[in-house]
Amino acid sequence: MLDTVVIPLVMFLIFPGVAFLLAMAFFLEWIDRKTVARIQRRYGPLHTGPSGILQPFADFLKLLQKEDIIPTGVDKKVFILAPILISALPLTALFLIPFAGPSALVWFEGDLFLIMFIFTLIVLVVFLAGYCTTSRFSVIGSSRAALQMLGYEIPMGLAMIGPALLAGSLSISGIGQWQMDNGIWTVLLQPLGFAILVTCMLAELEFVPFDIPEAETEIVGGWRTEYGGRKLALLKLGHDLELVLASALITALYLGGAQQIWIIPSIFVFLAKMLLVTLLFSLLRAVFARMSIAQMLSGMWKYMVPLAIIQILLIQLGIGG
Amino acid sequence: MGILKWSRSKSPWLIHFNTGGCNGCDIELLAALTPKYDVERFGIVLEGSPRHADVMAVTGPVTRQVRKRLRRIYDQMPEPKFVVAIGSCALTGAPFGDCYNVLGGTEKQIPVDVYVPGCPPRPEAIIDGIAKLLGKMESSDDDDGE
Repeated sequence: MLDTVVIPLVMFLIFPGVAFLLAMAFFLEWIDRKTVARIQRRYGPLHTGPSGILQPFADFLKLLQKEDIIPTGVDKKVFILAPILISALPLTALFLIPFAGPSALVWFEGDLFLIMFIFTLIVLVVFLAGYCTTSRFSVIGSSRAALQMLGYEIPMGLAMIGPALLAGSLSISGIGQWQMDNGIWTVLLQPLGFAILVTCMLAELEFVPFDIPEAETEIVGGWRTEYGGRKLALLKLGHDLELVLASALITALYLGGAQQIWIIPSIFVFLAKMLLVTLLFSLLRAVFARMSIAQMLSGMWKYMVPLAIIQILLIQLGIGG
Repeated sequence: MGILKWSRSKSPWLIHFNTGGCNGCDIELLAALTPKYDVERFGIVLEGSPRHADVMAVTGPVTRQVRKRLRRIYDQMPEPKFVVAIGSCALTGAPFGDCYNVLGGTEKQIPVDVYVPGCPPRPEAIIDGIAKLLGKMESSDDDDGE
């Protein structure tokens, strides 16, 4: 009874399951906002809890209790379903990440492809979420999100395949295990792939310089314009979970995953690495300015795709592989 | 103070609407959002869409042309919502009050919670006004905030 029901239930619901992931989502958003604020010589959230650490939670709670508006002219089914999907999809993908120890909660040979598929699916739902509201700002924002995906999806996939070729495994847990066995981080062998993955994740997360789909100065709130109240709360939660997913995936694929250093438990090592990746995202977000959609697409196809192919070629030639 | 009211008073998101002012108050409001004053300390964020916002910051006298738009933007905000009128024009219409195309202050069109006088008010005064609104939110007895 204890082994078959209680322990798996605790693992899925509390640690390293839903409760832990939600806490991480709020924590990473706070880290991100605070870092960007410090780089801009501000304080950032300060008075909500100690150093403002409860700010994302307060935002979430406030949005949950607000009036739930369904504007006339929207496709009701998609409008209601999209925020749920946007927060559920990254949560699903996070179960495949090995947070503590060598293997994740759920893992099988080929779960790397499932993660890629989920990343694409999130953008598809974003497109539907904006498109179904028929507001002109949302439609422009969502079509930009879909267009942007055409640019970064292929280099992102190639950059994820690099570590898989190296480890000879198509499972994220397997790649993490290979790095632990050989005592080396993939980033040292394939720095190019790491840089490409970080860039593409910025685009996936819609962070500056790739916040084209929600460019506030041009198209109000982008594809989120018509969402308010608890739907917006779910959209924001989904975005935070995506941030957790992006940093956890980069950690697992390129930064050695959940290895045990000395007597520090593997989960703390993993969280420290995730924090580093988030700090990198925030730094890039704070120092760049927004590109236009044409610059972004042509830049991705002119530089990122050839570089990603060169990285794969190098691995095939035995350099960094 | 319940946790719901706590969360509401810790995360007021602004939408800025100019109803036909001279742009003086708008510049002061934007100055209040810059790193020097950094209102994100209080959880205040400037949002673009009225659907995301809790607090509407209105500047300028309400002109005949903008009246409908002001009402529509106000209606698009989800409850509970609050209005801060910033500057003398938004309070009464001030020097433009008697013009043929001006209908006077904001309060004649939509309910206003906090008034910030001045022509234009300093960023400190605007932040003080919003802090007063937060105090009002915390001390209000009914739970729908109005």
